Amino acid sequence: MNTTQKIKLFLVDDDALLLKSMELDFKEHTDFEIETYATGELCINNIAKKPDAIILDYHLDGIEKNAMNGIDTLDKIKSINPEIPVIMHSSQDRIEIAINCMHHKAFDYVIKSETSFIRLQKNIENIFKIRKMKHELNWYMDRM
Amino acid sequence: MSKKTISDSEENNILRHEIDSLKLINDKLINDLLVANKVLTFKEEQRKRAEELGIANKENKNQEIINKELEKLSKSAKLASQYSLSLIEASRDPLITISPEGKITDMNEAMVKVTDTSRENIKGTNFKDYFTDPLKASEVYKEVFEKGFVVDYPLTIKDNKLTDVLFNGSTYKDDKGNILGAVIVARDITEQKKNEKELIEARVFAELATELAEVAKAKAEEAVKSKQQFLSNMSHEIRTPMNAIIGFTKVVLKTDLTDKQREYLNAIKTSGDALIVLINDILDLAKVDAGKMTFEKTPFKLATSISSMLHLFEIKIQEKNLQLIKNFDKNIPEVLVGDPVRLHQIILNLVSNALKFTNEGSITVEVKLIKQNEEKVNIEFSVKDTGIGIEGYKLEKIFENFQQASSGTSRIYGGTGLGLAIVKQLVESQGGSIEVTSEPMVGSTFKFSLEFQKTKEVTLKEVDQIEISYQNKNIKVLVVEDIALNQLLMKTLLDDFGFERDIASNGKIAIEKIQDNNYDVILMDLQMPEMNGFDATDYIRNELKSNIPIIALTADVTTVDLEKCTAVGMNDYIAKPVDERVLYSKIIKHVQRARLFDVAKKENSLNKQIRQTNLTYLLSKTKANPDTMMEMISLYLEQTPPLILSMKESLVNQDWNLLHSSVHKMIPSFSIVGIDKSFEEMAKKIQAYATSSEQTDAIHDMVLTLDEVCTQACKELKEEYLKLKNNK
Repeated sequence: MNTTQKIKLFLVDDDALLLKSMELDFKEHTDFEIETYATGELCINNIAKKPDAIILDYHLDGIEKNAMNGIDTLDKIKSINPEIPVIMHSSQDRIEIAINCMHHKAFDYVIKSETSFIRLQKNIENIFKIRKMKHELNWYMDRM
Repeated sequence: MSKKTISDSEENNILRHEIDSLKLINDKLINDLLVANKVLTFKEEQRKRAEELGIANKENKNQEIINKELEKLSKSAKLASQYSLSLIEASRDPLITISPEGKITDMNEAMVKVTDTSRENIKGTNFKDYFTDPLKASEVYKEVFEKGFVVDYPLTIKDNKLTDVLFNGSTYKDDKGNILGAVIVARDITEQKKNEKELIEARVFAELATELAEVAKAKAEEAVKSKQQFLSNMSHEIRTPMNAIIGFTKVVLKTDLTDKQREYLNAIKTSGDALIVLINDILDLAKVDAGKMTFEKTPFKLATSISSMLHLFEIKIQEKNLQLIKNFDKNIPEVLVGDPVRLHQIILNLVSNALKFTNEGSITVEVKLIKQNEEKVNIEFSVKDTGIGIEGYKLEKIFENFQQASSGTSRIYGGTGLGLAIVKQLVESQGGSIEVTSEPMVGSTFKFSLEFQKTKEVTLKEVDQIEISYQNKNIKVLVVEDIALNQLLMKTLLDDFGFERDIASNGKIAIEKIQDNNYDVILMDLQMPEMNGFDATDYIRNELKSNIPIIALTADVTTVDLEKCTAVGMNDYIAKPVDERVLYSKIIKHVQRARLFDVAKKENSLNKQIRQTNLTYLLSKTKANPDTMMEMISLYLEQTPPLILSMKESLVNQDWNLLHSSVHKMIPSFSIVGIDKSFEEMAKKIQAYATSSEQTDAIHDMVLTLDEVCTQACKELKEEYLKLKNNK
């Protein structure tokens, strides 16, 4: 990973206000490059931009009947590029949903709440820590 | 007697002997003396005997008298006993004597008759065997002998009719007080029972009849009610189209027209007006019939009220080249308390009647003070015409429903014949009286008198009218009306007045519109699909807590609906077809009132309203950057109303998935705009209920609350947005 380049983060949520609020939070506390999308479709269309991580709303298909839901979008992202870590963001605090998301290869499952920004931030830090560890491991493995 | 005769002859013999012995004086002197002595003794004896005999005779006589008296006595005793016996025998009540053992010792004829057994066969039999219930019967005689009497003991004799009897009896004793037996009288109560039975039957029938009468009464009342409802519905059905017909005719009459067109349209309008009058008349009569006619007691100016009403006739009077003469008694107090509308109706009917039947001459309207005291005045109104008049024998009939003096007149002069019937009802219902005098070909005079209360109050109407004249026209009206034609008509009228207007075709739509817009007044039709005017008003008053003036538009001015209007909190009503002046003045009146009220209220309560939003979070998040603030707020304002709508609609349609999603989408924004946490919890509850489809009632209330909260939040944020914008 090129460290000189800014980390690119996709935020996907159909709640415009929340989306904006998250964007403000990230812009304030990190120097990530933030891109926001109101639908799963828009996110997929821009996946070629190779985000370093995606924070994806679980309940994307709110009142739009035919919209892609969060899991569909997750699957689609993973099918295009399994390497992109996706953190599922949901207001539902239910274990089945969390497990389901993990089964669909989400990186983590974060409940929407006051503290969710910190959790997301931590998650992203973890993503890069793990990525770095993986790199190091690979480097050492190569040496061996 | 015979003895006496014998002694007499012996005396004679002795005397003869004396004569013989005289001759033999010496010889026989002693003998004679002896004999004489003997005779004397004998005589003495005789006398004694005679005396004895006399006594005996006397005694004999006395005995005879006694005997006779005894005979008499025994005869009368016999008679008396025969008399009582015959009485006893004649008694229709069976009478028996019984021995202490319960055996019958004697009886009367009635007993023989009732048992249909001969005396011989009854005597000595058991008393109890003659009754349906021998056990009870034996109790009777036991009771008699125990207590010495029995009173009204009921038994049934075992005859072919099963005669019901009441026993009364007592024991009888010998001179030493030993009980010999008991006399028992059985009173035949068959008649009594029969009467009793008849009485019971009569009572049952009476009760039944009362019940029937009550049912009939209820039915009749129901019928009256349903008749009124029917009339009310009918009048609605008729008036709704009439409303459109007359209204649009008026609208078209205001446009450029050829004379011909104007004439035709006027004809349509006149016919329409006449039809409405007819419907009103029928309704009025129905109201009188149902006892629902009520009279207002409002202060009004009699003189101005009447003269302004008479203005209505000016054109017609000119057209017919008649003269209208008004005589108003100057002594009548200026302001009176009564029902000006009904008074108008009465005079209107009489004057239009006079006008109808008068082709030349004049119509005189006279108002006279008859008497007055401290509290009341009695006023006589008369309407006199020089028309065709009425024949004397028809005068009585003209006040009946559907009567004109002659059936011929209705063909020439038109009319249904309801007018005078209503006039009479209106006058009499107010405690007045009406009379008519008439002469064919000369004219008729209708006179009625009414009582009015005096007052010191000043009438309010005039004040209202002045206010209208300088009125700003910034009024926004919401018309709630389902019928397209009427919508169009109201639009046209309101546009004419220069008011802003909005249309909702039922109560539900109206409620939505009220929440998103600010209206000054609502014109509310009553009968609409989806949600009628009553329910909508109820919702506006109780759920939205709005005091916006609501004026009912009703085709039905019967009391039933009007009561309901006030009950749900409507401010006023306008009868259809809508008179544009009435519409205008009522709108202005209520808008002004509400505005005055609002100003007063705002000062008190503007600050009291709980703010739903709190911008602390947003301010910290945006670092109080106005642009970002505005961006965030506008995002909220953009996305929230559709969510509220979708939430409400999904609840109505019971689309639980959509309800879940809509509420779900609302939740994150709560904390951002600082809406209280409890509402977020509420939203989560709605979500939970929506997934389980349970507790729909609870959901309903919560959705309404969320709706209120979010709607208010939007309102507040809008204001904030504008503030931010203005401060830039």
